[in-house]
Amino acid sequence: METFLALFTYFAHLFLIHVYIVRLAKYLKMPVHLRWELYPVIHEEKYPSASSYLEEKDWWLKKRKKKYLRGFFFLLKDYFILSDYAKGKFLYWLGLYPWHMGFILTMFFEFLCFISGLYIIRGGQVSDSSPSIVGTFLYHMTLIIGVLSFLTGMVGSVLIFLNRVFDKSLREYAVLLHYITYGVTFLLFFTGFYSWFFTDPKLEEYRLFWAGLLSFDFSRVGLWTAIHIMVYDLFLLYLPYTRWLHYITRFFAFFFIRWDDEPNIPGSSLERKVARLLEKKVTWSAPHIDKGKSWVDLARV
Amino acid sequence: MRISDFSKKKERLLKIKKEDLIDLPYPYNRRDLEPDIQGLTEDQLKTFDSSLDGISALGIRMPKDRKEEEEIVRKFINGLQKLLTPENNWTFLMPLYHSLEYCVRCQLCNDHCPVYIASGKKEIYRPTLRGEILRRLVERYVKKRSSVVLKLSGCDLELNWQTIARLGELAYRCTLCRRCAMACPLGVDNGLISREIRKLLSQELGLAPKELHELGTVQQLKVGSSTGITPKALKNIIEFIESDIEEKLGKKIKIPVDKEGAEVLLIHNAGEYLSWPENVEAFAIIFDLANIDWTLSSDLMGYDAVNYGLWYDDIQFARIAIRHIEVAKKLKVKKINVGECGHAHKALVVVADRVLTGDMNIPRESALPLLRDLIVKGKLKVDPKKNNFPVTLHDPCNVVRLMGIVEPQREILRRICPDFREMEPHGIHNYCCGGGSGFAIIQSMNFPSWRSSVSGRMKLKQILEVFQDVISPDVKKYVCAPCSNCKGQLRDLFNSFKTNELCGIFYGGIAELIVNALEDLKKPFIEWEWH
Ligand code: SF4
Ligand code: SF4
Repeated sequence: METFLALFTYFAHLFLIHVYIVRLAKYLKMPVHLRWELYPVIHEEKYPSASSYLEEKDWWLKKRKKKYLRGFFFLLKDYFILSDYAKGKFLYWLGLYPWHMGFILTMFFEFLCFISGLYIIRGGQVSDSSPSIVGTFLYHMTLIIGVLSFLTGMVGSVLIFLNRVFDKSLREYAVLLHYITYGVTFLLFFTGFYSWFFTDPKLEEYRLFWAGLLSFDFSRVGLWTAIHIMVYDLFLLYLPYTRWLHYITRFFAFFFIRWDDEPNIPGSSLERKVARLLEKKVTWSAPHIDKGKSWVDLARV
Repeated sequence: MRISDFSKKKERLLKIKKEDLIDLPYPYNRRDLEPDIQGLTEDQLKTFDSSLDGISALGIRMPKDRKEEEEIVRKFINGLQKLLTPENNWTFLMPLYHSLEYCVRCQLCNDHCPVYIASGKKEIYRPTLRGEILRRLVERYVKKRSSVVLKLSGCDLELNWQTIARLGELAYRCTLCRRCAMACPLGVDNGLISREIRKLLSQELGLAPKELHELGTVQQLKVGSSTGITPKALKNIIEFIESDIEEKLGKKIKIPVDKEGAEVLLIHNAGEYLSWPENVEAFAIIFDLANIDWTLSSDLMGYDAVNYGLWYDDIQFARIAIRHIEVAKKLKVKKINVGECGHAHKALVVVADRVLTGDMNIPRESALPLLRDLIVKGKLKVDPKKNNFPVTLHDPCNVVRLMGIVEPQREILRRICPDFREMEPHGIHNYCCGGGSGFAIIQSMNFPSWRSSVSGRMKLKQILEVFQDVISPDVKKYVCAPCSNCKGQLRDLFNSFKTNELCGIFYGGIAELIVNALEDLKKPFIEWEWH
């Protein structure tokens, strides 16, 4: 049983990583597009007034200072606030926030279990009576983060489900997959909560399971912990069929589209990319387009 | 309306009535002062599809028979596939892909859409609807998902002629103002989705409003301007403008035309020459006073900055952008300056940037920073008291939200208009005038009526609100709209609501206000003549 659980866990993680890499590579391989930015552009010097460098006469002669880190931290910070929802759709936020936090904390919990596993196989002890501060820190953090993730996730799954059902506009646009997702996440957090509350109050079994995964010496876990791990693995396999990759693609959308105000400077690599794209042959077939010609030839008729 | 109704052969998905629309402030709190939304004529109803909301912008003809219907569906699927290939759509593939894949249907964006709000939140105008339909069609007809996946993801919407006709019309109920996109926390852009639907229809099915295509880009490429002005006609107009300036100023100004090697090539929206020549005059006076080395062009396309391709067709867009640059190259100017035309700003300065390579990449900029510098640096002597009337500023979406040119126009108005007042919301949060993305020039069938009553409603509401304390028609008020397209929409909007008559609200550009404030000017430049 423990071997099966371990193999399944390896598989689920590898599968998810593989699908995510393929998806992200597809995104990143897409050609450069025409400029379609939307203000405020966060790395602009005059961001507070939502202004751009185009407010300057002879803007191409001036140095443009971009503050990229500002954008990065803006997006990162918002994962922990979801401020647009708090301002614009508060009831929805009440469900969305704990649901998201449950997910983020679960990932963090898994990361802590992974670190704890590494620590254990290198001879460390993770417990409240560990001789090392690292061991006690990992013990307490894992417990706090794990339990918080189960609780927030459960509450969030229920509230977001209720929101989808009772808000007319959300219901109209909901599809079966939405409800399946809420069900899967509820099950995920509930099994975690149940196993902690009734069978493994110190969350010891997860640590040992991870130590086993890392040392290929699979340890035995209790029934409810095993169920939770199974549900977690199934959740990982299910993730690619949801839109949860938006955690990452949101960065792309902001940096590569909404905030992409990079001008096409003569001699730049951007210009070379554009020149190559203009050579592509077009197969649109409306009467005003000569099918089969390149963009550049079509534009010059 | 349910999403599944979209492909059903029903009479009409929405019958829009003025009573359903959101309330307007005084004096339009009396609904009888408001124009009715016109229906189509009997003949039009027989010929064109109006099954979306009884309005027609595209003029889609009913197919003659089943064969034609199937052919349209086949072409639409081809177009859908092309939209998702880098060869055919490198121009917008990434933004489109993102918007199709990563909307979580949270509906946060809806309440930011002026059309949706103004309509009284009618389902069919919800910004997310177009994207949802396109997404469902892509899953079923392009990605060809299994029936189980389609069922689970709700993507079992049927594609038939009716769906295409409705989706096509729906793409022309969005002004591409991208206010919804600004509100989306995930970077999804429902405005872009409208544009991409328009593109599919134009580039694959040859379907676009005649004002944008035949009378728009096609005419512009052929005769030089979508207004129909030919280079010869332009020369006559400029002569008229010069004599008008002489009359107003008491001195003659020679407008430089086709001056080789000038520093600046100024390109106006040709609509100014026909409808608002005072704007062209104002620029000529300002540039002359400021000793700017400038020129206009009388070359084919060189006197019309519009590029309607921006709104519906990438190929037509590129063709026009390239012609604009060729004109500048021929004149050997140092840079192009775009006059008061919002979409021309966005088209030529920003979007065309990645179409122009090598020596085609001539510097291009907005005229607003130049005007701001002239005022702020004291190159023009102004007396703000001359503009002693209430003034508000309309922010053209293309200039402000889509280009980040927010402050120059405000810096000017703060210095030359003592009673300048901001609408709420303003700046990048502004509401579209309701004529964006080509709406202002679409004059066929009953579309203008919808445009005034629905898409322009939020703007009218804002204008009335900002002038409520001086709403009497005896007080002359000025809406400064530094965009030709917006002015066209305001003209139609104010005409249909008789806003000038009932409230004394007038509109115009920013250059006119500058000239009106010039210290040395003997008589007012702004004549408050309604046209
Ligand atoms: S476009 Fe953005 S805000 Fe609107 S429903 Fe989709 S994810 Fe939500
Ligand atoms: S782009 Fe503007 S008009 Fe179009 S859906 Fe978005 S908010 Fe509405």
